[in-house]
Amino acid sequence: MSETGPVARSPIRPPAPVQVHSGWVVSALRSHAPLRLGDRSPLAKVLVRGAADGTVADRLGVPFGRTGRDEHGTLVVGSGPGEWLLVAAPGAASDVVARASADADGEEFVSVVDLTHGRALMRISGVAAEQTLNKVCAIDLSDRVTPDGTAFRSSVARLATDVVRDDLDGQRSYLVHCERSSGQYLFDVLLDAGREFGIEPDGFRYPEE
Amino acid sequence: MTATGGFRLPAQPGELIDRSRLLPFTWNGQRHVGLAGDTITSALAADGVRVFSRSFKYHRPRGILTASYIDPGVTVQVDDEPNVRASHRRLAAGMTVTRQNAWPSLRYDVGTANQLVGRFLTAGFYYKTFIKPQRLWPAYESVLQRFASGGRLSGDSVHGYYDKRYAHPDVLVAGGGPAGMGAALAAAQAGARVMLVEEEHELGGSLRWGGVEELALLSELRAAVAAAGVEVLVDSVVAGRYDDNWVSVLQRGLPEVQERLVKARVKTLVVAAGLIERPFVFSGNDLPGVMLGTAVRRLVNLYAVRPGTRAVVLSANPEGDAAVADLRRAGVEVAAVVDARRGEDIHRALGKREVTGVELADGSRVDCDLLVTSIGWTTPTSLLNMAGDRPRFDAAAARFRPTDDLPASVLAAGGIVGDGTPEELVAHGRGVGAAAAGRAGFGGPSLADLPPPLTGRPHPGLFRGRTHGMVDFSEDVSSKDILSAAREGYDSAELVKRYTTATMGPSQGKLETVNTIAVLAEATGSTIAELGTTVWRPPYAPITLGALAGRIFQPVRYSPMQAWHEAHGAQPLVAGMWIRPDHYGDPAAEVRTVRERVGIIDVTPLGKLDLRGPDVPRLLNAVYVNKWSKLEVGSVRYGVMCAEDGVVMDDGVTGRLGPDRYLMSTTSSGAAAVWEHLEGWLQTERPEWQVHVTPLTTSYASINIAGPRSRELLARLTEGVDLSAEAFPYMRVRAGRIAGVDDCFMWRIGFTGELSYEIHVPASFGLHVWEALLDRGRDLGAAAFGVEAQRILRLEKGHLIVAQDTDGLTKAFDAGLDALVKLDKDDFIGRRELVWSHERGSAYTLVGLQPVDGSVVPPEACQIVRGANTIVGRITSSRMSPTLGRSVCLGYVLAELAGPGSLVTVQLPDGARIQATVMPHLAHIDPEGRRLRV
Repeated sequence: MSETGPVARSPIRPPAPVQVHSGWVVSALRSHAPLRLGDRSPLAKVLVRGAADGTVADRLGVPFGRTGRDEHGTLVVGSGPGEWLLVAAPGAASDVVARASADADGEEFVSVVDLTHGRALMRISGVAAEQTLNKVCAIDLSDRVTPDGTAFRSSVARLATDVVRDDLDGQRSYLVHCERSSGQYLFDVLLDAGREFGIEPDGFRYPEE
Repeated sequence: MTATGGFRLPAQPGELIDRSRLLPFTWNGQRHVGLAGDTITSALAADGVRVFSRSFKYHRPRGILTASYIDPGVTVQVDDEPNVRASHRRLAAGMTVTRQNAWPSLRYDVGTANQLVGRFLTAGFYYKTFIKPQRLWPAYESVLQRFASGGRLSGDSVHGYYDKRYAHPDVLVAGGGPAGMGAALAAAQAGARVMLVEEEHELGGSLRWGGVEELALLSELRAAVAAAGVEVLVDSVVAGRYDDNWVSVLQRGLPEVQERLVKARVKTLVVAAGLIERPFVFSGNDLPGVMLGTAVRRLVNLYAVRPGTRAVVLSANPEGDAAVADLRRAGVEVAAVVDARRGEDIHRALGKREVTGVELADGSRVDCDLLVTSIGWTTPTSLLNMAGDRPRFDAAAARFRPTDDLPASVLAAGGIVGDGTPEELVAHGRGVGAAAAGRAGFGGPSLADLPPPLTGRPHPGLFRGRTHGMVDFSEDVSSKDILSAAREGYDSAELVKRYTTATMGPSQGKLETVNTIAVLAEATGSTIAELGTTVWRPPYAPITLGALAGRIFQPVRYSPMQAWHEAHGAQPLVAGMWIRPDHYGDPAAEVRTVRERVGIIDVTPLGKLDLRGPDVPRLLNAVYVNKWSKLEVGSVRYGVMCAEDGVVMDDGVTGRLGPDRYLMSTTSSGAAAVWEHLEGWLQTERPEWQVHVTPLTTSYASINIAGPRSRELLARLTEGVDLSAEAFPYMRVRAGRIAGVDDCFMWRIGFTGELSYEIHVPASFGLHVWEALLDRGRDLGAAAFGVEAQRILRLEKGHLIVAQDTDGLTKAFDAGLDALVKLDKDDFIGRRELVWSHERGSAYTLVGLQPVDGSVVPPEACQIVRGANTIVGRITSSRMSPTLGRSVCLGYVLAELAGPGSLVTVQLPDGARIQATVMPHLAHIDPEGRRLRV
């Protein structure tokens, strides 16, 4: 055991310079490019499953395919029928698990699993984020079909990927996540796809600015 | 050379060139200077270049015919890129442009000799000539290749960036002429998302080479299109239309992307492809200097190039008349205008290397260096054909015209439908565009509100003149070839196409289809209407293989320890999507490390599924062949899964972590299939069971610590868990803290046959724990081992690998799993088949085998044989055992040969045969399992 305690590492190599943020090795880059891709894997990710019309569904208040934010600032993603992914601050997983477990009323069959270490999560932001994603994903990303607050699972560059539209201050932004082991692949694919739009890697920040 | 060249005209109203930007380039080694906005051919034509290539078969000199993308005789090599359409490709500074299909030079081309033997190179020449004797084909091939058309690829060419893009426009308009722009505009104004695709470099179609009024209309339309938010793709072509308006668009000339295939899902497709001018068939019609009227108009108006000095014009329509006016304005002496509407005609073009005169129908000769023909049109109905339409020939208008036999989601607009003034074409486009938006759900007019169709104006039917000439300029098919094919019995459009290859070249029928049919009609005494056309299929225009391939997406998976593996010389092993360390240089040494000291292996790819809920035991009892009801918290158990047919599908251990919480492990390759299997079972067969399955394969970094000193090593890093044999015996699971990392699981199992612990740590800390193990185990001799060492270790121990030692026919009893299969369980997946299989007995049995000569390792998949040629088994796994110093195997043999001590014969790939002994156990080492249970 090192004296400082173990540090967590994302599956995505952090572009230099690096720093430790909330126990994670992250990139301290700060990009102001019009299109940016940043690793958000350190965010807590908790999967909740229960009846699509049960108590937990009521408490979370987010239907399949949509997102919302709870009073703690946790992003609640309706990631499947009767399935929600909760995304919160780094290190908050155990609190989120505790709260989500408490939401169940005891009658309903609910499970809560911490997926923080099992998923790679990244954010692509900028006007051309739509065009970039549409080079690798066949879903219609227009406002009419997938407005802000939409969540879906689809093939992105032949990888099963969850895409969450989560605009920041009115600017187009997507959270994109996949199994941890393919995180570097997906990150590299998005950088490649965004090259013509001047994409730059960005560092880790929480909360988002 | 000067930038303006000898043939460059003063400023023209519609010119696309920027006279302030000079672009130097070379053509066959000669320096030239063109202007920004020039195409390669316009720049060269401005310098007086007339011959651009040699033709495909006869190596006849060829020049500009259409001055557009489909120009058949101007395909060139640009730098490393072959087959560049020189009448379309914009000039760039520094281009090295060279001829194709001429050797040694354009002027002295050896292939020209083909013209002398031309009468032997008629239709079907290759079919008839190179069939026999077959053994000579390689010789034919090497000679023919020298004369083959096409450029040359350098092995050092940098692979361009080709990619794809998905799009979902409500309305896609193919063609950016007056009607296309009108349609896009009206659809966008109705609220639809519109994509407007134009093959040329700018919108406008024929308006671009029109007069002041047309140019004013063009600039008004362009401004309106831009203001309406239409997505305009220029230098792009709609290549195909498939079911449900799945439309492919090829986009070229983007700044960072060489070519892009846009896959568009379109609600309504508007085809506004306009008309393509059709060449006339007469002797010498392919000589450089023979041009279409539209080519003249493009050269003069768009590029300010004088196409010749003295011209003869054969005109049958206003476009031809306008070409005459353009020529006169450009200072070209128009020596004669032959008006086909008055029944006038030409006989042949004269000249060898290029046109030097024309013989008119009355036999008189006129000297000229330019012969212009404007004799009619081809309707590019390709996209409409792909939507199901079979256009009909309108003899009065002398062209094919679309019918109404189209799905509601496909509409035609503009010149492709009928004739009109520019304003009428725009109005028609607007009406169709509004209807297209309406059909896409944008409140506009209903189907009934389609504008009245444009009609076709009368036009003389001119196809072949009084002499024979080229019909297909790309494939060098002449009207004589068509006649001879018809005489040989190839008397339908489809047959004559396949036999002569007419319409099969790069221009894909755009110039030659109608003339082919017309000559065939003449030969067979029928009409064009009766013969119909060949079917136009995608792609409409040539597409590079690069564009079809796009980016190469090959998802890969890495463990959290990948960086360490790379840094320590791991030989990568591709296992499905996973990239794993096969070994770090010496797998045999890695085996000895495990047998003698302690090794660690990255087993992160092992499938891991979190199972929660009160009904997990029922699920486990259903999917595994053994019993699970009494698994206690803290215990793990090995299980085998079979499919309904009793065939082994996966194996692994499952541990009970809490009252309602289990962790199931699967094989690395079976993780996804098992998850689907469980979900399928839960969602369709037993939806009432309360079980949630969550894949956690990559949530945990998994490390197997194996060897006699593994307990000692793990103990140094573990907090909160008593690792003693009494407190933590074989086949148990514990949770605790390892190397300062909380929420780790460790289970005591032994794939390698040694005392071992498989630890699962939160993946983000995987590298930390891995490095801590090696660091703290240094004095114990701890080292990493790879997949190859693990395979040897498990083979020494006689542990099977599903899909290596089993296949798609191996049932549980065949694989020697008799003790595991509990047929007394109520039911489980595969039970019925296994009951049956148990009654019948197994034909083959999995056994341990040792070659009598221990130095021979029979390759996996070797057959075990009896007598001359009877197969009685096979080797499934084989390795040299570093522990025993001899070869060891697993394999299947007929049940009657499976007794310990049986000698069997293994046939090696080279045909040699060796003897092998059937062993009493699958395990070659420690069959009693003493090493595991210390």
